[in-house]
Amino acid sequence: MLSASRASRAVWLWMIVGLVGYFIMPWYILEDGFFSFEWLDGYPFDTDYAPAAFLIAQGEKLWLAPLVLPLLLPLVVIGNKDRQRFSTLLIIAGSAGLFYLFAQGFAIGIRGFNAEWLGVLFGELGDRQFGFGYGAVLLCVAFLFYLTTGVAARGYINGDVFVVGAIGFIISIVAIFIFFPIAQMLSSALRDNDGVYSLAVFVAKFSENKIWGLACLSENRGCGVAWNSLFLAVIVGAATTVLGLVFALVATRSGFRYSNWLRALTVLPIITPPFVIGLAIILLFGLSGTITQWVAGVLDLQPSRWVYGLPGILIAQMLSFTPIAFLVLIGVVEGVSPSMEEASQTLRASRWHTFKTVTFPLIRPGLANAFLLGFIESMADFGNPLVLGGNYDVLSTEIFFAIVGAQNDQGRAAVLAIILLLFTLTAFYAQRRWLGRKSYITKTGKGDGGSHSLMPRRVMWPCYIIASIWVIFTVTVYGMIIYGGFVETWGLNHTLTFKHYITAFAVGVNDFGLHFKGSAWDSFWTTLKIAATAAPLTAIVGLITAYLLVRQNFAGKQWFEFGTMLSFAIPGTVVGVSYILAFNVPPLELTGTGIILIISFVFRNMPVGVRAGIASMSQLDKSLDEASLTLGASTWRTFRKVILPLMRPAILAALVFSFVRAMTAISAVIFLVSAEYNMATSYIIGRVENNDYGIAIAYSTTLIFVMLSAILLFQLLVGKTQTTRPLTQSRTNVG
Amino acid sequence: MKLRCRIAGAVTLALMGSAGHTIAAEKLTYYCSAQEDWCQLMATGFEEATGIKVNMTRKSSGETLAQIKAEASNPKGDVWWGGTGDPHMQAAEEGLTEAYESPMRAELHDWSIGQSESAGNKTIGIYSGALGYGYNEEILKANNLPEPACWKDLLKPEYKGHVQMANPNSSGTAYTTLATIVQLFGEDEGFEFMKGLHKNINQYTKSGSAPIKAAARGENTIGIVFMHDAVKQAVSGFPIKVVAPCEGTGYEIGSMSLIKDSRNPENAQKFYDWALQADVQSRSLEVKAFQVMSNKTAESSPQAPDLASIKLIDYDFTKYGSSAERKRLLKKWDDEVSTLPR
Amino acid sequence: MSQSELKSRAASVEFRDVTKKYGTEVTAVDSVSLQVAAGELVTLLGPSGCGKTTTLRMIAGLEMATQGQILIGGADVSRLPATDRDVSMVFQSYALFPHMSVLENVSYGLRASGQKKKQCIERAEHGLDLVGLAGYGARLPSELSGGQQQRVAVARALVLEPQVLLFDEPLSNLDAKLRRQVREDIRDIQQNLALTVVYVTHDQEEALAVSDRIIVMNNATIAQIGTPRELYEQPADRFVADFIGEANIIDAQITAVDKDRATVIVGNTSLQLDARGLTPGAAKLAVRPNRIFIQTPGDDAAGLAAVVEKATYVGDRMEYKIKTELGELFCTSEATDQAIDTGKHVTVQFDAVGPVLLPRGS
Repeated sequence: MLSASRASRAVWLWMIVGLVGYFIMPWYILEDGFFSFEWLDGYPFDTDYAPAAFLIAQGEKLWLAPLVLPLLLPLVVIGNKDRQRFSTLLIIAGSAGLFYLFAQGFAIGIRGFNAEWLGVLFGELGDRQFGFGYGAVLLCVAFLFYLTTGVAARGYINGDVFVVGAIGFIISIVAIFIFFPIAQMLSSALRDNDGVYSLAVFVAKFSENKIWGLACLSENRGCGVAWNSLFLAVIVGAATTVLGLVFALVATRSGFRYSNWLRALTVLPIITPPFVIGLAIILLFGLSGTITQWVAGVLDLQPSRWVYGLPGILIAQMLSFTPIAFLVLIGVVEGVSPSMEEASQTLRASRWHTFKTVTFPLIRPGLANAFLLGFIESMADFGNPLVLGGNYDVLSTEIFFAIVGAQNDQGRAAVLAIILLLFTLTAFYAQRRWLGRKSYITKTGKGDGGSHSLMPRRVMWPCYIIASIWVIFTVTVYGMIIYGGFVETWGLNHTLTFKHYITAFAVGVNDFGLHFKGSAWDSFWTTLKIAATAAPLTAIVGLITAYLLVRQNFAGKQWFEFGTMLSFAIPGTVVGVSYILAFNVPPLELTGTGIILIISFVFRNMPVGVRAGIASMSQLDKSLDEASLTLGASTWRTFRKVILPLMRPAILAALVFSFVRAMTAISAVIFLVSAEYNMATSYIIGRVENNDYGIAIAYSTTLIFVMLSAILLFQLLVGKTQTTRPLTQSRTNVG
Repeated sequence: MKLRCRIAGAVTLALMGSAGHTIAAEKLTYYCSAQEDWCQLMATGFEEATGIKVNMTRKSSGETLAQIKAEASNPKGDVWWGGTGDPHMQAAEEGLTEAYESPMRAELHDWSIGQSESAGNKTIGIYSGALGYGYNEEILKANNLPEPACWKDLLKPEYKGHVQMANPNSSGTAYTTLATIVQLFGEDEGFEFMKGLHKNINQYTKSGSAPIKAAARGENTIGIVFMHDAVKQAVSGFPIKVVAPCEGTGYEIGSMSLIKDSRNPENAQKFYDWALQADVQSRSLEVKAFQVMSNKTAESSPQAPDLASIKLIDYDFTKYGSSAERKRLLKKWDDEVSTLPR
Repeated sequence: MSQSELKSRAASVEFRDVTKKYGTEVTAVDSVSLQVAAGELVTLLGPSGCGKTTTLRMIAGLEMATQGQILIGGADVSRLPATDRDVSMVFQSYALFPHMSVLENVSYGLRASGQKKKQCIERAEHGLDLVGLAGYGARLPSELSGGQQQRVAVARALVLEPQVLLFDEPLSNLDAKLRRQVREDIRDIQQNLALTVVYVTHDQEEALAVSDRIIVMNNATIAQIGTPRELYEQPADRFVADFIGEANIIDAQITAVDKDRATVIVGNTSLQLDARGLTPGAAKLAVRPNRIFIQTPGDDAAGLAAVVEKATYVGDRMEYKIKTELGELFCTSEATDQAIDTGKHVTVQFDAVGPVLLPRGS
């Protein structure tokens, strides 16, 4: 049968991959990083760089030898007509291989056996091993796809090798890069300083007064960090939702002619590196800030440090997160079918009455969504509280200082991270349970005719006023940012200068040609490289996941969806902490590499890729895929030739978003950067710490422009899917 | 850029075949806890001097200790240079670092050797700086405040809301302050001092030098910091006046340690010896680091606070550097001071 | 190209007790057995939700049967996914790939089966020629009219020379005039190439016009299988009678059965009809509207007395709703020039051929 031969072909392919992994590629992780090719020197006999087969041939790492059995096991059944036997053997080979691979990886570490009982059982090993490298990863992939192909041959999902493989792949990476680190973190929270599991320690740390104290209610003191975070997040969620709604209304319902500009303006904060907004706010509202001084002068008041603490964080977060609410709500507001409102008006309702009884109830779920997004973003925000927090401690910064501060308590960091995670997960869960897929969006896809009615006047004017204030404020803040990069020393010497740009981005010529002398180049190139690598990976993983969710049905799909969307609710600081705990030791030894940064970005941003994919795929007529299938194309071919080309807008959105996020992220990055892979944001935080606002701001401004041009570039690269074109053009060549 | 070069290199290598046994470049992974430009200077300086390729990570001493601890079972760093001595002492105590007696020891100040010996030679002093505070003259004047000169001056009610120090829980500087006050006034009176100070504090910052930076930018009036940090702001042109408190003060020793079980131990030792040379230490002035260097013949800036003219207490590094004492003091501070209303 | 270049590899289709369930609650198709001979055009006809589309999709492999066996060309394909079945389908929405030109669309399946590019293009051009769209290859689907798009969809399915060609309501997006044209084209192509075609529609007229045989489905089961004439003239039950064309269902009495002729009393008239195995007793009679004659009193007045309740002029005929002692009847008359006014007293007669007895219990 056809599909049997397809399965056999898949097995051949993965066997070759596995053989390459076992016999050709270096088995262990290379000290010089994944992309280095220094291993070619001394290969294949140098034990640091040798493939597994060469190691065994030299009598080393003999425990790797049994892996060859499951690798070659499928040879027995390949091409076998008996599907039952074929699938059983593949499943055995795949799962046994995976199990043994990980078992040996976890059992034997850098100091021999990782657990004492192993030493007792097998005697001392007297040898050690490092983390998985190319070879091990390839073999792991081969085993995984043996397993999925075997399951597919059982008839799961119509025996579709590609779909089962994709599901298996996504589940595996989500398990390894989301659930495994979180589990590691939980276990570290449960251990005391000596590594002994102890519930008492956990309870003590968890119920600490510093976290849950309520002194702020009765005395002139701060409350626990958990309450601080919660309080802040609720206010920010509510405020950004209101502001976002205001902008959405102004943009769509006011007849305001420059709403495109408004949209552009609201996108700015998304591409702004962290700290910058915080710095600008200090320069405006700090004790010596321009506005503070001016107001104090005019009103003859004593300037104060009012901005440090809740007010400052609030302003900064509202500037940063309102655009997110706006983007959610503009879709919702536009989605309300004009004919509904027109119907209401023909039923003799006034504009105000229509707005109150039709429009507003229809956008209510959107409001809840925007609120929860603002809530989660505020909870996870790290940069603003760091700069503006004053004595107002929040969970995200507290986690950071628990790890890096003089207290240096990973257990406490883990406990705080768990509390933060509990908050965000509860919000995330509430959003999903409460709103579910309920949507009042009334777009039908059919031409709806009609146009949106304008807002009633009593809504319009307040909206205009709020929007104007915000716009002026945003423009001022960004004006400050650009200006701040060009003055000698802010607050002291306002002579204009290019000094900061030169320090950061000087380019010189030396014997070898162009030489990037500026102090920022190193982190700049690293950031670009990592962001540019992470973006397409995020898009691919996101779109494959979206495809599985929208187009395929399988048992446990709900859990699959939950798992893939989960990382959205995991704050960056938590990711950072858990990655350090999980990926520092073999077999997954990733700290200090660029890979760990790329992986953290891929999984942090994956939910957005999934969302974009789901949105755009649900608009694709399912009969397109079915047509392709009945025309004899495989699911994989259908995915490549039909779905992907039609998903360009979603791909673009995912690419842009993950690229931008990778360039501006800080909260996870700060834990994961290393000497070789230093990121722009962590460089900037160093300058801020050092009082070099000039360079920090100059660098940030540069990043903003780089991101803008990158967005344009992506737009050009991905292009617009051509499904219509003017008849006057004729095509001369046919593909 | 780098990647492309590497690929090109790899291709060349592959073409040359196994005959061309090129020597893999010598490497050193260097953790640095001093200011960024100083760290850079040391890295490039060492590369120039030895041809060994240096991979540098700059993180605060607390962060670096956390990292070394996390990597203990698989160390990635070779040498840890800079940052206040306590985390280095702590690392020594926890067995994360290697003992080493450098041939350069003869050229060093006694305080440097003393600190090294108290840590079983697992760390060594490279610079030292005294604690004190600085204030923004303009803001002081604008608020009609008297000029402080002693620790006890800071308790005056008119300074309420004008003093900043770091949180001893997160900053080594602030812990040094706490330990200094305890040693200077005795534990009971010292804590009374901290309680009084608490009333005047407008913010406990996370990072040690943040208070003086805030003062420099006009966001704060008085910042309790290491004096060399305050000097640096003054030299940068900010209206900062540096004060060596009249009662006397404690000091830190910035240290250097070799990481245990590292991957390039020989290069690490090379760096260690090199970093103790007088000419290397003199270069600290290029980056406005105004600490006193540990090599007796290293130059120091005329603007740097002269340790000889400051009344230094006999700081007990062994006692106050130990985890147990640190934990006890911090807990006491947390329970008795930080919970007080302001 | 000559049409003979497209080879027919037509094969039969067989369902053996096929059931399709969604979840545990919904049964879309309930133990259906059917056979389609090679080279035959069979229509699946029924109201929406009857299971006809699910049946079609099970042939395509887009849905998997929960129970039972599906055979194509005698081979069991029950567990084979769509990709691996030698079946093509023309979708209701045409499902043309909007980002590919017409030629790319038509050659898509050929490319997927791994044929050489040049050969694919040749055959795709032949396919376009066959549906009368030679020279349109370079256009995008959006640049074609609805009817042209439809033909591209047919060409795309045809060039693969499938064992079975499936149509899912292919005419529903076309306007009334075009529909007749396209359905004739489809029928022509099917007959010229001797294809096995399974065709789904809810439009009985369309079904009657194109089919060799029709399978009427209702409530997830087959109501009747037969040629168009059999279905129209000898409906198996009340549902079929009413669904294929309209029918008046009238209570009647069988008084005597002689061989296979029955004497049937309807009101005050008596008819001689095919007994269809019935025995004397109460029975239901299905009468098409055009098999009822209305006469004004002035004429020969034998028959059922009735009153015209409503008279509607619909162009080529008159439609009457009349009230009799047997209940309301619906009838048509081609005598548009002699329209009868509302409220008139008339007599009604049944055609000698046309009324048909329905099996009891239907």
